[in-house]
Amino acid sequence: MDLQIALLLGQDGITNGAIYALLSLALVLVFAVTRVIFIPQGEFVAFGALTLASFQAGKTPGTLWLLLGAGFVVAIVDLVVAWRRRKWRRVPAILGWNLVYPALMAGLILSIEPSKWPLLAQISLALALVVPLGPMMYRLAFQPLAEAPVLVLLIVSVAVHLVLVGLGLVFFGAEGSRAASFSDVSLDIGEFSITGQTLAVVLTSGVLIVVLYQFFGRSLYGKALRATAINRTGARLMGISTVMAGKLSFLLAAGIGALSGILIAPITTVYYDTGFLIGLKGFVGAIIGGLASYPVAAVGAVAVGLLESYSSFYASAFKEVIVFTLIIPMLLWRSLTTRHVEEES
Amino acid sequence: MKRKFIVGALLVAFTTLAQADITVGVTLSATGPAASLGIPEKNSVSLLPTTIAGQKVNYIVLDDASDTTTAVKNTRKLISENKVDVVIGSTITPNSLAMVDVVAEAETPMISMAASARIIDPTNPKTKWVFKTPQNDTHMSTAIIEHMINSGVKTVAFIGFNDAYGEGWFQEFSKIAEVRKLKIVANERYSRADTSVTGQVLKIVAAKPDAVLIAGAGTPAALPQVALQERKYAGKYYQTHGVANNDFLRVGGKNVEGTFLPAGPMLVAAQLPNDNPVKKSALAYTQKYEAAYGKGNVATFGGHAWDAGLLLEAAVPAALKKGQPGTKEFRAALRDGLEGVKDLPGAHGVFNMSPGDHLGFDQRARVMVQIQNGAWVLVK
Amino acid sequence: MTPRRVLALFLCLVALAPLVLSEFYVTLLNYIGLSALVALGLVLLTGVGGLTSFGQAAFVGLGAYTSAYLATVFALSPWLTLAAGMVVTAVVALLLGWMTLRLSGHYLPLGTIAWGISLYFLFGNLEFLGGHTGLGGIPVVSLLGFELKDGRDFYFLIWVVLLGAVWLTQNLLDSREGRAIRALKGGVLMAEAMGVDTARSKIVIFLIAALFASVSGWLYVHLQRFVNPTPFGLHIGIEYLFMAVVGGAASVWGAVVGAGVITVLKQWLQDLLPQLFGASGNFEVIVFGVLMVVVLQRAREGLWPMLSQWMPVHSSRRQVPIADFLNKQCSFGGSELILEVRDVTKRFGGLMANNQMSLSVRAGEVMALIGPNGAGKSTMFNCISGVDGPTSGDVFFRGVSIVGLDARRIARRGMSRTFQHVRLLPAMTVIENVAIGAHLRGHRGITASMLHLERAEENSLLAEAARQVERVGLKDFMFEAAGSLALGQQRLLEVARALASNPCLLLLDEPAAGLRYLEKQALAELLRRLRDDGMAILLVEHDMDFVMGLADRVVVMEFGEKIAEGLPEEVQRNPAVLQAYLGGVA
Repeated sequence: MDLQIALLLGQDGITNGAIYALLSLALVLVFAVTRVIFIPQGEFVAFGALTLASFQAGKTPGTLWLLLGAGFVVAIVDLVVAWRRRKWRRVPAILGWNLVYPALMAGLILSIEPSKWPLLAQISLALALVVPLGPMMYRLAFQPLAEAPVLVLLIVSVAVHLVLVGLGLVFFGAEGSRAASFSDVSLDIGEFSITGQTLAVVLTSGVLIVVLYQFFGRSLYGKALRATAINRTGARLMGISTVMAGKLSFLLAAGIGALSGILIAPITTVYYDTGFLIGLKGFVGAIIGGLASYPVAAVGAVAVGLLESYSSFYASAFKEVIVFTLIIPMLLWRSLTTRHVEEES
Repeated sequence: MKRKFIVGALLVAFTTLAQADITVGVTLSATGPAASLGIPEKNSVSLLPTTIAGQKVNYIVLDDASDTTTAVKNTRKLISENKVDVVIGSTITPNSLAMVDVVAEAETPMISMAASARIIDPTNPKTKWVFKTPQNDTHMSTAIIEHMINSGVKTVAFIGFNDAYGEGWFQEFSKIAEVRKLKIVANERYSRADTSVTGQVLKIVAAKPDAVLIAGAGTPAALPQVALQERKYAGKYYQTHGVANNDFLRVGGKNVEGTFLPAGPMLVAAQLPNDNPVKKSALAYTQKYEAAYGKGNVATFGGHAWDAGLLLEAAVPAALKKGQPGTKEFRAALRDGLEGVKDLPGAHGVFNMSPGDHLGFDQRARVMVQIQNGAWVLVK
Repeated sequence: MTPRRVLALFLCLVALAPLVLSEFYVTLLNYIGLSALVALGLVLLTGVGGLTSFGQAAFVGLGAYTSAYLATVFALSPWLTLAAGMVVTAVVALLLGWMTLRLSGHYLPLGTIAWGISLYFLFGNLEFLGGHTGLGGIPVVSLLGFELKDGRDFYFLIWVVLLGAVWLTQNLLDSREGRAIRALKGGVLMAEAMGVDTARSKIVIFLIAALFASVSGWLYVHLQRFVNPTPFGLHIGIEYLFMAVVGGAASVWGAVVGAGVITVLKQWLQDLLPQLFGASGNFEVIVFGVLMVVVLQRAREGLWPMLSQWMPVHSSRRQVPIADFLNKQCSFGGSELILEVRDVTKRFGGLMANNQMSLSVRAGEVMALIGPNGAGKSTMFNCISGVDGPTSGDVFFRGVSIVGLDARRIARRGMSRTFQHVRLLPAMTVIENVAIGAHLRGHRGITASMLHLERAEENSLLAEAARQVERVGLKDFMFEAAGSLALGQQRLLEVARALASNPCLLLLDEPAAGLRYLEKQALAELLRRLRDDGMAILLVEHDMDFVMGLADRVVVMEFGEKIAEGLPEEVQRNPAVLQAYLGGVA
């Protein structure tokens, strides 16, 4: 292996690592606020990418039907709750978010031809379609279990993942898609070239990491989320709604997931089930960060990307074996360095 | 409950005996990793003849989700519950291999739609009951190697799926390559869901092969080629017949221009010379499929299911004379009939079965195809 | 119908099933049996032990591949390869267990996902195992010269193995080791304080679950006679967990119910849903996922508890066995020094929780440690009982320094405690909870427990537990679930549990809190009797009346330091104490 190959592998590792890092941040966020280990994160990646690709191919993305369906179910569940508790004031908001918004989106997408729109508009439309699925998912699957032990939430999380993968196959089919490249620019430094796409991925990830960091450190919402993370009962007593915090964290996670998907869609072929392994590698990063620290998680995720890249060079058939076996010593190190506090439930 | 079961089972048994329809059981991988092969097969099954020699034919189609356990479960169900006379399936090699024992035990003929020669070779009391319609990997590998050598290729790099497909291809390809003195300079694997194959591609580029063979199926096979293009690899590109569907062209775009691949003749049926016996039968299938599922949607994998239907159509009439459908005699006669099929043009080639060859294909079963202007073009 | 009859009826149905059912339903029952065996391991691991694993399918693969390889390549008898498969699985499980079981809570399931994936790809890439394509021609199992070639014959093998495993598991859970295992879910701290080696219990259930999976793999491979990696992937591992959870992970029969429901449902949905939607897709996965979420939201205990309400299957033992007395751990004599705390200091960062604390307790003495909230009493307690060691200073128990020993080893030396916040296993009966306290007084291991060869010892332990339950006045609640008791009664239960270990020193953390007047009097009476028997008692308590009427000596703490020590009357008159309690900071 010469220097150039090493550099190229490094670049590849960092590009993938940047995506894993983004995902690991979302995972840390969701875990900190809701104690949910967010396995379905990967599905948002796939949905984001495939929705964008559908727009560009001039097709109606399946996620539209998903949004309409999920909105409908959430509306019914919420209306039943509102009716039982006689909280009529909530009804307009319930209808607005869960029925009117999806209907408007449907009207918009079906009446115009998104394939003729500029890229940025397509991306916004894809995000507007996929991201609301996050809070809806929280409402349906996790909110009723907000007080359950982590392990129960984890099993639910896996179940939701399976549902979404199944739906993904129905909506997008077994074959994959690619989106058009954001830019064909490439920077040449000697023999080493960096594509614009790679730069876009790394820069977006970097910016988002900083933004998230600031969000939690400075903004009121961020602080509220952190408060719920540290003490649920306390936060509730202070008037911070845990439901709101949960939905917000899922919204952010869905947004990060979908955006990651949109970033990778031009670099690689995305399938309905691509998300799981990407999400899992993001996890490894999150685990290295102890599901608590944003910067460490990001560094860990980039390390996973690099490891993957180099092992696919040396022993491609055993890449998965190498990456996932190395999680174990990582986990071991984690468990030895963090003081174990038993969750008594 | 239980009594109802027995009564029901008896009723079913009774009615089948009375009508003596021919029952064909199908298990294929319409979901799971092999779905892109299984779906066109499933679609094609509904185009198969509903009467043969005046007898009504019933098809029972089950999905095995690309999973061996389910494939075996399905086979047992088809044989014991539905009393099928013949089993068609499954889509992939491991599933088909796992089914061999079951059909041999039940003395029911089986027509596999999977590629590996291991399903029918070597001939023994078990594989006696097993036939297959797709070209062996050997057929395809020979065609590729032939083409490579004729184009002056001396060294080749291999990159394939990290599953049974990639593995099967490498085994066949490397065997023949060794005989033909073609040097394999790199052997890489990647997974269907991988987002990056940079590592593998860099290794291939560093080995400087004259050509690269990518052994993948469907859209995922485009990824290594795109990555190689990005690294400005200038050698020849070869794909396998696993990519022969339009989604591959859609995803690959201009990156897969000029690629060579071996394929069943039906992929380019319209371009075949008129005297090729496969042309007529392949076009018939293509037209029928596109009439049902829309223009441009036909994929070569469906042709294997179609060919299984043709084999049955050829073998059933004689078998009917030896026994009633639903009986052991009929199944045995059907098996003998299948083994005796001669000069039957299918969508993928001309079948000439024999006790030693339960596929019966020859050189006419594969052609070399090049991707030109986003279309499949027959290499003459 | 008695539970015994229900079981007999079930066994009859199982035995008759292959004689009346068609080939396919027998096949289905075979697969149900295979899955149930794996799910049974998960019941033990996840439902009872609280450890979640998504990686069981990999162990099935280990059993399957070991047997397939040895039986085809070396033509070994399948019975030999069964043993070999179990050995290989055990070695791998011990290694993985050693690494991943140290991980807390959610790290373990993530770890199992990781090795589930890596073992799957390893199977697929090892050429001698047939790679991704698979390995065929695996021989049939023959039993006493009879070849189990047919699905119907194999049915009996599968179900005999499964029912055997159910029996072993049920026996294990109903034993001393079983109680230790059941304490893993939510009671680790308590169990350690009672001398249970919880790390060992975790490894044990992990190993048993892996071995069940391995045997299932062996059965699978000789039924299928073909093996490739797909049945051992992560998604199948997830399915096994679903079976256990849907069926009811807290009960052995939940595994059987879950495996049955999921297998049949899958079969049924695979037929029905594509017809309904007219297209291909993994519809059954969607239904399973939704089902799973609904089950966990609506009935977290799974289907079995619901089912068992309709059938009289609950047989809880209602009689205390008559048995030999257990050996005594401690014999008391004289007034020897039992506990001596010398100059113990405990810092948490800049906070000095205990500063140069000293105290001692003699045999036949009740020593009370009192002080206002935040005085550092609980920290002192933790330093003594091994929950958290002191920063400096020394603690001698029966003449030996115990600084640096963990709670379990200290318990082994004859110290037992209660907790300020009651820690008991609410779903277990009162007598079983108390029997955990007697854990160290038995010694029979896992194998004996599984085969119920330890019944004499078990009876002695239960008899001892029953004696302690009676002693604290909970006789009427002996077989009630501990969680149904009032708080005061739960505190008494804790005292009984501590006594069941026959301790030399009893540490009581606010035992009178939540007790009613009469209960307090009864407790005081009990403690006096224990003292008269020669036991040393150290208690932390807020209730002054209770302390002053009971204690022989009192130590008063404030701000981490000892401000007074002496007889109750002396302490009550001490101006510093009055200042601390009445004057506050004024």
